[in-house]
Amino acid sequence: MIKKPQLEVEVGRIRMKNPVMTASGTFGYGEEFSPFIDLDKLGAMVLKGITLKPKMGNPPPRIIETPSGMLNAIGLQNVGLEVLVEEKLPYLNKFTTPIIINISGDTIEEYIELARRLDEVSQDKKIAGLEINISCPNVKQGGMAWGTDPQSTYQVVNEIRKVTSLPLITKLSPNVTDIRVIAQAAEEAGADVISLINTVVGMAIDINSRQPKLANIKGGLSGPAVKPVALWLVWQVFQTVNIPIIGMGGIMDAQDAIEFMIAGARVISIGTANLVNPQATIDIIEGIEKYLIDNKVKDINELVGSLKV
Amino acid sequence: MILNINARILSKKEVAPDVFLISLLAPLIAQQAIPGQFIHIKCSKDNYPLLRRPLSIHRMDKDKGEIFILFQVVGEGTKLLAQRAVGDDLNIIGPIGNGFNIYPKSQKIMIVGGGIGVAPLIALAEKSVAEDKEVRVLIGASKREMVIGEELFKSLGANVDISTEDGSYKYKGLVTDLLKEVIQVWPPDQIFTCGPKAILRKIADIASSISINCQVSLEERMGCGIGACLGCVCKIKIKEKEKNNKVEYNYKRVCVDGPVFKASEVIWDD
Ligand SMILES: Cc1cc2nc3c(=O)[nH]c(=O)nc-3n(C[C@H](O)[C@H](O)[C@H](O)COP(=O)(O)O)c2cc1C
Ligand code: FES
Repeated sequence: MIKKPQLEVEVGRIRMKNPVMTASGTFGYGEEFSPFIDLDKLGAMVLKGITLKPKMGNPPPRIIETPSGMLNAIGLQNVGLEVLVEEKLPYLNKFTTPIIINISGDTIEEYIELARRLDEVSQDKKIAGLEINISCPNVKQGGMAWGTDPQSTYQVVNEIRKVTSLPLITKLSPNVTDIRVIAQAAEEAGADVISLINTVVGMAIDINSRQPKLANIKGGLSGPAVKPVALWLVWQVFQTVNIPIIGMGGIMDAQDAIEFMIAGARVISIGTANLVNPQATIDIIEGIEKYLIDNKVKDINELVGSLKV
Repeated sequence: MILNINARILSKKEVAPDVFLISLLAPLIAQQAIPGQFIHIKCSKDNYPLLRRPLSIHRMDKDKGEIFILFQVVGEGTKLLAQRAVGDDLNIIGPIGNGFNIYPKSQKIMIVGGGIGVAPLIALAEKSVAEDKEVRVLIGASKREMVIGEELFKSLGANVDISTEDGSYKYKGLVTDLLKEVIQVWPPDQIFTCGPKAILRKIADIASSISINCQVSLEERMGCGIGACLGCVCKIKIKEKEKNNKVEYNYKRVCVDGPVFKASEVIWDD
């Protein structure tokens, strides 16, 4: 009989049954996927980006398909902290899967207030960690502006670090000149984990009307089209920091996921693939397990950063 | 309950130029679907095109466990779908959405379809007839060969009028002009419509001018189709807040909050 490989991983004090998480914004508040998958089987769930107050988001059209990918300009439409805590978390707390809250703010004070409130909430509700979104390309203020400069990255992460003891994940933007300096700034500021990539800024044009296809003009590119970019950035960050990495960007199947782990990702997130196949996460967990068995790898952690160059 | 299944393609027919009718074996979806709901279809076998395409459920045959889709080839997704072979399995998610709401007290039901917008309206006509309503159907098309569903609606016992923009068949003009004439002599209790946005908007205006309940089935580009990504929104009025004539609105998801909305709640600004 074949012994089952070891799939458990630990990222910044967050223990996961397996290395497959969901990427923020592509998995709603989890509940939307419960008709399709057993949420208890996931490594972790990252919820739609939350802000202190509810946010309306951008006008439609908000998404457009591009070759092997999609552009989105949702604009962080979300229910706001209060509703998240009162209406969404109680449902999610029925599961054993760690819940990670993705946070965004227009100002540094908003980030701090969100983190402080969530730290309080974590006294009686299960929150496994916070993912600081300093890389959203679709909001006017804040968002990506924080994550494209090492000083402001340091400042946001450092201020949040002061108000919470929850594990902190810093989510990086690919839209920078040198991602290594940003990753370093996040690590020095006290981040426990780095996640990357958020979407790549882009646009699409209708040649008949000569108008942008997205009402917001620009949007964030995701899906298979961004995978090579994401892989390269994960590999670069892996060589730069000592904290674990959550890799994402265009992962559609187990093979893609394994590539990210070889490049240095301790765990991986599934984004756009959830929109295409609501069972993608489960298929990928099974595929990774099969790969480990076929290649006689006993422990998933052996893969991480095992790239031979 | 919403399902994610592989459904066998049972038949395929080109019913008008570039318009296809496909039947699928999907007993569990056929059983629970209501008129106005849709299925979210993976048209390709690989990742190009990447996203699914939402298509209305055109009809369902609960006894045979079949559902039908009726669609026009308009882009990559629908092109691939039209090329899929009988016997193939098609991955679909459904049934999704709220569907049309026929009020029990309504006697006269007016159904208006623009172009391929007739797709979900056949199932609706079927249900209305089954509930003993008087059903009148208006079909609008660009020209004669693009008139879809005439025989089907008639076979259900509905009274059918047709308009073509070029006048090649029956009434010459827009289906909205035809509607204005017909409601003079036959004021309905409810109007149901699906089609291009410009037509829906005009029908919404006509309905509101005579205070008739009107329900429109909206289309928007979709990602997940299950309410998670917020990619498919439209502007819906917040009823309580119409202060200082400034209408306040929310973004609602067409996939799960719709696709059917009360015409009076929709903000038509583009
Ligand atoms: C529709 C959509 C909404 C997203 N919303 C968020 C968000 O709220 N917060 C965030 O940090 N990232 C958000 N992202 C980015 C994803 O989490 C992920 O970083 C990116 O899509 C790359 O992964 P993928 O190619 O697997 O989708 C969103 C992506 C998509 C497609
Ligand atoms: S398509 Fe994702 S919410 Fe409607």
